[in-house]
Amino acid sequence: MAACLLTFASAQAAVDVGPATAPRMEFTPLPPGTYRLQAIQSVEDATLLDERGRPVRLSALTRGKITLLTFFYTYCVDPLGCPFAHQTLTMLRDRILRDRELAREVRFVGISCDPSTDTPDVLARYAMDFTTNSRFEWRFLTARSVSALLPVLDDFGQDISVEVEASGRPTRALHHMLKVFLIDPRGSVREIYSLAYIQPAVMLNDIRTLHLERLLGRTSRQAAIEPPRAGASREINGSDGQQ
Amino acid sequence: MRKSSQCAVVLASVYVCFGTALPNAFADETCNSPYISNLIKGQEDFVHVWTLGVEGLGDGSDKLVTIDANPGSETYGKVVHRTSVGGRGEAHHMGFTDDRKFLWAGGLDDSKIYVFDVGTNPSKPKLIRTIADLPAKTKFVGPHDFYALPGRMLIGNLSNTTDKSGVTGMALYNNKGSLISRYDMPTTSIGGVKGDGYGYGIAINPAKNVLLTSSFSGWQNYMRELGDLIKDPEAMKHFGNTLVVWNLKSMQPTQILSVPGAPLEIRWSLAPGQNWAITAAALTSKLWLIKQGEGGVWAATEVGTIGNPAQIPLPVDISITADGRGLWVNTFMDGTTHYFDITDPEHPRESYQKHTGSQVNMISQSWDGKRLYITSSLLAHWDKKGADNEQFLRAFNWDGQALTPAFEVDFTKEKLGRPHHMKFTAKAGQSRTLAALGQQ
Repeated sequence: MAACLLTFASAQAAVDVGPATAPRMEFTPLPPGTYRLQAIQSVEDATLLDERGRPVRLSALTRGKITLLTFFYTYCVDPLGCPFAHQTLTMLRDRILRDRELAREVRFVGISCDPSTDTPDVLARYAMDFTTNSRFEWRFLTARSVSALLPVLDDFGQDISVEVEASGRPTRALHHMLKVFLIDPRGSVREIYSLAYIQPAVMLNDIRTLHLERLLGRTSRQAAIEPPRAGASREINGSDGQQ
Repeated sequence: MRKSSQCAVVLASVYVCFGTALPNAFADETCNSPYISNLIKGQEDFVHVWTLGVEGLGDGSDKLVTIDANPGSETYGKVVHRTSVGGRGEAHHMGFTDDRKFLWAGGLDDSKIYVFDVGTNPSKPKLIRTIADLPAKTKFVGPHDFYALPGRMLIGNLSNTTDKSGVTGMALYNNKGSLISRYDMPTTSIGGVKGDGYGYGIAINPAKNVLLTSSFSGWQNYMRELGDLIKDPEAMKHFGNTLVVWNLKSMQPTQILSVPGAPLEIRWSLAPGQNWAITAAALTSKLWLIKQGEGGVWAATEVGTIGNPAQIPLPVDISITADGRGLWVNTFMDGTTHYFDITDPEHPRESYQKHTGSQVNMISQSWDGKRLYITSSLLAHWDKKGADNEQFLRAFNWDGQALTPAFEVDFTKEKLGRPHHMKFTAKAGQSRTLAALGQQ
């Protein structure tokens, strides 16, 4: 993070993401099934590309199983950014694999924020580090174009900014807020982890909580945990109200 | 990441990625949710002021006022923009979303929630959404605290639709503006302490999985003229006397702490290894320390006095320094700004005070502690009358010894209204959103 800071500082003198710290956990996580995870939002469908360049519906990879989904770039070097997320997910995967039944019910999905660089070929090479175990589904997706990716980013509330040169030409420096989304088999986001809460023990218990929910037949509908309907608030077309 | 990829990244040194990690030190900024990204550690460019409209003054509407706060700017200390919402609903507090792109701002009377885009162009915020379903869907009124969670906004309310008393709860919305869930403040006993059901402030410590909430009063009191209220002994009984400790993951209350006299703002020390928060009780003028003890049990202890309680100075907003060693406290009635050394939080020591206005309420400081901002308004019906009804934002420089004036905005002269809550933004610098680039 310090190395990234040097490059970042020249562009944005005021905003300083500061020295990053790994999340701390000074409590004992609640046992799985002893709490409810609220439905935060549903996942809008979209068409992306898999590691082989084949079109794939996002719904095919966010329904049917418990999914952990995150956005990343293959060339990310932030030790507490994408690499940290993938390191955590790797740790989680290994723990999930100890439970064969659970391993069949869980998948990880990574979506690249930079479809221009992260083509399917690039993804295929990148994925080799993470897809060594055929008993666990870990998928990596990209998009045909930035315009195809934007609705997905917007739906997940992932704002990506790109540093530009004085001429206005985009550089390859990207910024985004690290978030990992926990999605239930019905395609509803049930938890979101930013850096402060990327804690494997908590995330594993949340996954198990959703697994128990499914096993016990407590679907999100039966437990009255439905994602809220969109359109509850009035959108305004960019009024700046300048007097 | 494989070695070959790492080598490629090293060679292409401009290829960077920011996970926007949570810093271990913050600005006023310390008063924000710890889930917020992009905390401003250096010079803030703008201070946004959520302002209560005054009938007959300007457009009379509540508005988000944007003031240039960068000394290097040509418009330093000047109002550069105002975003009016077209109505007057007792504008009070606001809070950033987790990505700091939007400010959610509430009205304590009409219970509307306004969402401003301050990320696209912080010099010209835009009102993009109005959320008006809080009372109908939750039975709560008076959205007070807006506290970011990942992808969500937790709102602490002050009252309810049934009897407009202080019995209330929290509402959780997703960042798209849809209600997820509601949580009643406890009214039963936990650990021998009875909950009063009141709400006010929200403060989360992620490392402890703890949410703290405080307690104030209901619509019947906060929308009533203060002069009438204080003469009504029955009404004066209806102020909060508790802090509630919640398990953040389950959103269940685990402890109720007795803190008499309306504990208001709560500030955690977020220094690693620290396990305490501090609050000020408005009606008793006391500082209270909330600390975790043996066995993980939380306790509240009275640790200090603010001003002369017999004169009811009414401590209101507080701001903790980034290192957790200092605490600014404003007392509304005597217009005084106090600085406490809380290096030993169990023995706070007031080391400085200054009369900063006829009435003072909100206080915000820069991350480095060198700049302090104060606004004047508390509530439309509680603000002073006549000549004492100054309405201002005053900016100061702090050198560790004394406050010296930096600039001032007269909100009455500028026909803006009653200034309340403040939040900082910084310019985007040389970056553009992916969406903006895609549209070029």
